[in-house]
Amino acid sequence: MSSTHNVEYQKKELPAKIRTIGLVLFIIGLIGVAASYLTDSSRSAFNNIIMLSFLTSVGLGSLFLVAVEYVAGAVWSTPFRRIPEFLSTILLVLPVVVVPLLFKLGDIFHWMHPEVVEADKILKGKAPYLNVEFFMVRVVLFILLWIVFYYFITRTSKKQDLTFDPSLTKKNIKLSAAFIPVFGITISFFAFDWLMSLEPHWFSTIFGVYYFSGSILAAFAAVTFVVVMLNENGYLVKGLTNDHYYSLGAFMFAFTNFWAYIAFSQFLLIWYANLPEETFWFLQRWEGNWIYYTIGLIFIRFAIPYFGLLSQPSKMDPKRLKIMSVWLLFAHWYDLYWLAMPNYSKDGILFSWIEIAFPVLSVGIVILLFVQLSKKNNLVAIGDPKLKRGIDFRL
Amino acid sequence: MSNKILYSYTGIFDTPDEIIYAAEKTSDYGFKKYDVHTPYPLHGMNKAMKLPPSKLGYVALVVGLSGALAALLLMFWMSAVDYPIIIGGKPFFSFPAYVPVMFEVTVLSAAIATVLTMLFIFFKLPNNAHPLHDTDYMKKVSSNKYGISIQAEDEKFNEEQVKIFLTGLGAKEITAVYFDNEEINYKHKILEPKFIGFLLFTALLTSGVSYFVLNKLLYMPPFDWMMEQDKLNPQATSTLFTDGYGMREPVEGTISRGHLPYLFKGQPDAAEINLSNPLPFTKPVLEMGQKKYDTYCSPCHGYHGEGDSRLRGQFPNPPSLHSEKIRNWKDGRIFHVITDGQNVMPSYSSQMTTEERWAVVNYIRVLQRALNAKESDLK
Amino acid sequence: MSVVDYTQELSVVEGKPALRSLDDIISKPLETRPDKKFYIALSITLSMLGLFVIGLGLTFWYGIGMWGNNNPVGWAFDIVNFVFWVGIGHAGTLISAILFLFRQKWRTGIARFAEGMTIFAVMTALLFPLIHVGRPWLDGWLMPYPNQHGLWVNFTSPLLWDVFAVSTYFMVSLIFWYVGLIPDFATLRERTSTKIKKVIYSTFSLGWRFSNRHWQHYEMVYLILAGFATPLVLSVHTIVSFDFAVSILPGWHTTIFPPYFVAGAVFSGFAMVQNVLIFVRRIFNYEHIITLDTLEKMNKIMLVTGSMVGYAYAMEFFIAWYSGVQPEQFTFLNRAFGPYAWAYWIMVTCNVITPQLFWFKKIRRSIPVMFIVAVFVNVGMWFERFVIVVTSLSRDYLPSSWAYYKPTYVDAMILIGSFGFFFTWILLFTKALPVVSIAEVKAVVDDAQPTHKDH
Repeated sequence: MSSTHNVEYQKKELPAKIRTIGLVLFIIGLIGVAASYLTDSSRSAFNNIIMLSFLTSVGLGSLFLVAVEYVAGAVWSTPFRRIPEFLSTILLVLPVVVVPLLFKLGDIFHWMHPEVVEADKILKGKAPYLNVEFFMVRVVLFILLWIVFYYFITRTSKKQDLTFDPSLTKKNIKLSAAFIPVFGITISFFAFDWLMSLEPHWFSTIFGVYYFSGSILAAFAAVTFVVVMLNENGYLVKGLTNDHYYSLGAFMFAFTNFWAYIAFSQFLLIWYANLPEETFWFLQRWEGNWIYYTIGLIFIRFAIPYFGLLSQPSKMDPKRLKIMSVWLLFAHWYDLYWLAMPNYSKDGILFSWIEIAFPVLSVGIVILLFVQLSKKNNLVAIGDPKLKRGIDFRL
Repeated sequence: MSNKILYSYTGIFDTPDEIIYAAEKTSDYGFKKYDVHTPYPLHGMNKAMKLPPSKLGYVALVVGLSGALAALLLMFWMSAVDYPIIIGGKPFFSFPAYVPVMFEVTVLSAAIATVLTMLFIFFKLPNNAHPLHDTDYMKKVSSNKYGISIQAEDEKFNEEQVKIFLTGLGAKEITAVYFDNEEINYKHKILEPKFIGFLLFTALLTSGVSYFVLNKLLYMPPFDWMMEQDKLNPQATSTLFTDGYGMREPVEGTISRGHLPYLFKGQPDAAEINLSNPLPFTKPVLEMGQKKYDTYCSPCHGYHGEGDSRLRGQFPNPPSLHSEKIRNWKDGRIFHVITDGQNVMPSYSSQMTTEERWAVVNYIRVLQRALNAKESDLK
Repeated sequence: MSVVDYTQELSVVEGKPALRSLDDIISKPLETRPDKKFYIALSITLSMLGLFVIGLGLTFWYGIGMWGNNNPVGWAFDIVNFVFWVGIGHAGTLISAILFLFRQKWRTGIARFAEGMTIFAVMTALLFPLIHVGRPWLDGWLMPYPNQHGLWVNFTSPLLWDVFAVSTYFMVSLIFWYVGLIPDFATLRERTSTKIKKVIYSTFSLGWRFSNRHWQHYEMVYLILAGFATPLVLSVHTIVSFDFAVSILPGWHTTIFPPYFVAGAVFSGFAMVQNVLIFVRRIFNYEHIITLDTLEKMNKIMLVTGSMVGYAYAMEFFIAWYSGVQPEQFTFLNRAFGPYAWAYWIMVTCNVITPQLFWFKKIRRSIPVMFIVAVFVNVGMWFERFVIVVTSLSRDYLPSSWAYYKPTYVDAMILIGSFGFFFTWILLFTKALPVVSIAEVKAVVDDAQPTHKDH
C-alpha cells in the first residue's frame, strides 16, 4: 500500500473553456435537433438512431474496456482507467436519447404495423421476436442492466480512491466477470433491434460482432483522444510514457483490422453465396450514389486509419494519435450512417444541417458529462493497487 | 603466439545492471566497433549502446506489398486473360475472391524475406568462423554471464588502454581473443572432386527417379486405375455382343437430330446435276473453308491442293486438285466426293457439317483459281 | 493468501532459479538417454501410426470408396479431421504471436512447446486434404504452375484458398519456430561435449553469438513475425470456415462462421496444449517454469473462447429461426432433434457446458479436473466439426437423397492414426529439441532485466 503514496498526482480543475465549448455545442445541437424534428421527423428519427447507437458504442464500449482491464489483470491502462469510467457515464443519458424515438417507432420500423405483418409471411414468422411489447421490454431491460453494472463498477472504483482497499479490486473483478457475458449478449441484440431490424427481412449472424468491433474501436478512440489531451496538459498522473501511448495506438490499429476482417467476412460470404434474401441489403447500398458512400467506407473506416497507424513510431506520436482517434470516431458515425440511412433514403445520400445537428449534440453531451464528473472525482484511480505498476509499465 | 592477429578484448560481467552501465560507458567513450553479448535480449540495451532503430520493418513493408500486388496481377492474368472460365457465375476478375490469396501471399513473402534479410544480410550468417566462437567467453555469455567485446580494428583501440578501461568498468576475466589463423587462411575450393561427385550423383539420382516416376510408376497399379477401368472403351472389342464390337451401330432407319440423310450416296453424276452451292464467296465463308480444308483435307491433298501429302507414304497420295478434270467438275461433284468419299478417300460427312463442306468446296475453287489465274485476274 | 497482492507482478518463473540451472534442466532431456517410459509411449504412438499407414494404404490402393462417404455426405471424416487438426494448431500461434503482442510474459514457458504442437498439428491436418483428393500423387496440381494442360487453378475456390492459407501457415509457423530456436541451438552448441552434436548444433545455430547488435534486429523480426502471424492465424481458420460458408447449404452458409471457427480453433488448441503440458511439466520437472498460474490462465482462455463458441451456437440458432428461411430453420431443428441429435448434444455438453466449470477458481487450479475438462473440450470440438459437416450434408435441400452417414473401419483407423502421427512427432520433439525456450525464459526470471533508473 505504501507504493501508492509515491505516485505524483495533483488534482487540477479542467479549464472553464472546455465547459463553455461543451455548453455551446450542446445548445446548438439541441436547437438543431429540435428544429430537425419539427422539419422532418422521420429523417430525424433515423439520425436519432445513429446517435443512440453511437453513444451506446462509446459508453458501453468504455465500460467494457474497464471490465476487461479488471478481468485480464492489465496494468498499463490503470493510470487512466478513470477516463473510460467517465465515458461510460454516457449510459445514463441513453434513456433520454431513446425517448424521442419511442414516439416515432412506427416510422422507423415497418414491422411495427400489424397490417404489414399480416400481409407478409416472413414478418409474421418473426412476430414473436419483432413486436412492440417485447421490443420495449428489451430496450428498457438492456439500458437498465447496463446502468446497474455501470453504477456498481464505477462506485467501487471511486470508493477505492478514498479507502485504498485492494479487496475492492477483487470485488470489481467479480462484477466485471459477470458484466462481460451480459455485455456480449445485450450488445448483439441491441444491434439486431435498432440497426438490423430496420430492414426486417435481412439477417446476418455476424451482425452483433460487427457492431461490437466498431463499438470497441470507437471506445478506444474516445479514450485515446481524452487521455492524450489530458496528459499533454498535465491533468493525469506523471510518468506516462510512449509505451502507454503505443498500447493505445496498437489497440486502435488492431481493432481497425478486426473491424475490416468482420466486415469483409460478412460481405464476402453474402457476395459469394449470392442468395437474394441476403444480397439485397448490400445492393441497396450499391445503388445510386450510395455506391460512392460504400466505397468511401472502405477508405474512411479501414485504409486511412490502417496506414495512419501502421508504423511503430506513429502509434506513439501524440499528434498522430489525436488525429486518428478523432478520425476513427467520425468513421464510426459514418459506418452507423451506412447501416441505418439507406433504409430510410433508398434514392441516395442525404446530407444537410440535420445530419450535423445530431453529432454536435452528442459531442456536447459527452463534454458536459465529462466536465461535470471531473469536478467531483479524481481523474486518476489513485487508490488502485495496480497504479504504480501501471505507471512503470514498459513494453 | 606473436603471429596471431588480435580480434578483440573481452570482459565478463555478472549482472544486467552492470552490463548496461558498461555499454553506456563504452559508447560514451567513443568506441564504435564493440559488441555486447548477453544470453537473452536486455531491455534498454539498444539505448545504452545508442543503436539506431532496426530497419527491418521496411523490408517487410516493401516485400509484403509487392507480394500482394504480384499475387493480384498473377491471378488476374491466369483467370481473366490466359484461361478465362466462368465459375459459379462470378466474373472472370473477382476481386473479393482474390483477397484471401493476396493476403496469404503477402504474409508468406514478407515473413520469408524479413527473416532471410535479417539472417543473411544484417547478421552475415551463417558464420561459424568468427573468432569469438569456441572461446571460454562464448561459453559464458551463452549461459549466465554478460560480456563486452571491444574490437582491435576500432580507431580508438589501444591494447593497454582498453585493458584499463575494462578493469575500470568492473569487468572480470579480461582476455584477448585472436583470429584463428587456420580458419582465416583457409581457401575454399569449389572444384573439389568430392563436391563434383556429389553434384553428379544428385543429378543422376534426380533424373533417374523422375524418369521412373513419370514413365513407369504412374503406369503401375494403383496409379493407373483411373485409366484401366472395368468399362467398355469406344473402340475396343467386346464379348458381350455377337458382332464383337464395343460400340453399337444406330438402329436402321434412324436419323440423328439436325441431319438430313444424303440422297446421292453412290451417285456422283446425280449429285453433280442436282446439287448447287448455297454459299457465296465471302470472306467468312472462305476463312471457314480454309480452316476445315487445312484440318481435314490438307494432310493428303497438301495445303495448296497439289497432292503433296504430308503422310510420307503411309497413305497413297491423291492426284492434284488442279487437274483439268477437277477444275471442270461442278461444285456438286466435289461436294459429293467430300461427303461420300471416292476410291480410297473416306467420307468426311461426320467430320464436317453440310455448310462446312460447301465452304471447303468454295475454298478449293479459290485454290484452283490461284494456280490457274486468268489474264483478267491480274487487273 | 485470501487477497492477492495487486501491487506486485506475479513471478512468471517461480523461485528465481539461477540461469545456469535453467540451461541444465531444459537441456537435460537432450543430454540423457530416453528412459523406459519414453519407449513405452513411443511404441503406443507408433502402433497407432501403423494403423494410419494401413488405413491410408487401403485408401490409396482401393480408393476412397473404402470410406463411409455416401451420396449426400460426400465430405466427412477427411474434412472433419482436417478442421480439427488445423484448429489444434491455432493455440500455438496464439500463444507465440498474439500473447507476445499483448506482452503476456507467462507465455514464455509454454510458447516453444505450443509452437511445436502447431507445426505437428498442421502437418497432420495437411495430410487430409492431400489424401481426400483420391489420387494423392497428383496433389501437385493444386499449385498454380505453368503446365502442359494449359490450365490454371481456380482462384475463386475456397479450397484453393485453403491450399495457400494452410501452406503459408505451416511455412510461417516453421520460420517463427526456427527463429526462436536459433539462440537455443547456440546455447546447446556451447554446452555439448560430443562432436557430432556440436556439428549439428553449429549448423542449425548458423553461428549465432548472442551479440546485442543481433538481438536488436532479432527482436524486431520477432515483433514483425508476430504481427504477421496474428492476422495469419485468424485468416487460416477463417478460410477453413469459408470452405463451408461460401456455399448455399443451410447450416454451412452463415456469416458468423469466420470468427466462430477461429474461437473454436483456439478453444480446442488450448485444451490440447494444456493436456500435453500437464504431462511435460511433470515428467521433466518443469513445474516452476510451466507454473500452475500459467495453466490457470490457459483455463481462463478456454472459458472465454468456449463461451464465444456457445454464443455462436446460440446466434446461429436464433438467426436461423429469425431468418424465416425454411431450410435454415429445418437444419437447426434437425441438428438438435434429428438422427444426429446424439452428436449435437455431445458437442453442446462438451463445448459449452463443461468449460463453464472454469468459472470456479478451485477447478481452474486443480490439475486432474482441468485435465478432464480439456479432454471433454477436445472431444466436443471434434464433434462440432462432425455436426457441422455431416448433419448439414445428410439432409440438404433434396429430401429424396437424404441418407445417414456411418464411418467405416478405415475411417476409424485414419482418425486414430492421425493421433498416432501427431503424438509420435511430439515424443520425438521432446527428445530432440529444447521444449522450453531457454533464452526467453531467462529473460523473464525475476531480476533478469536491468532496473529502470530513468524514474
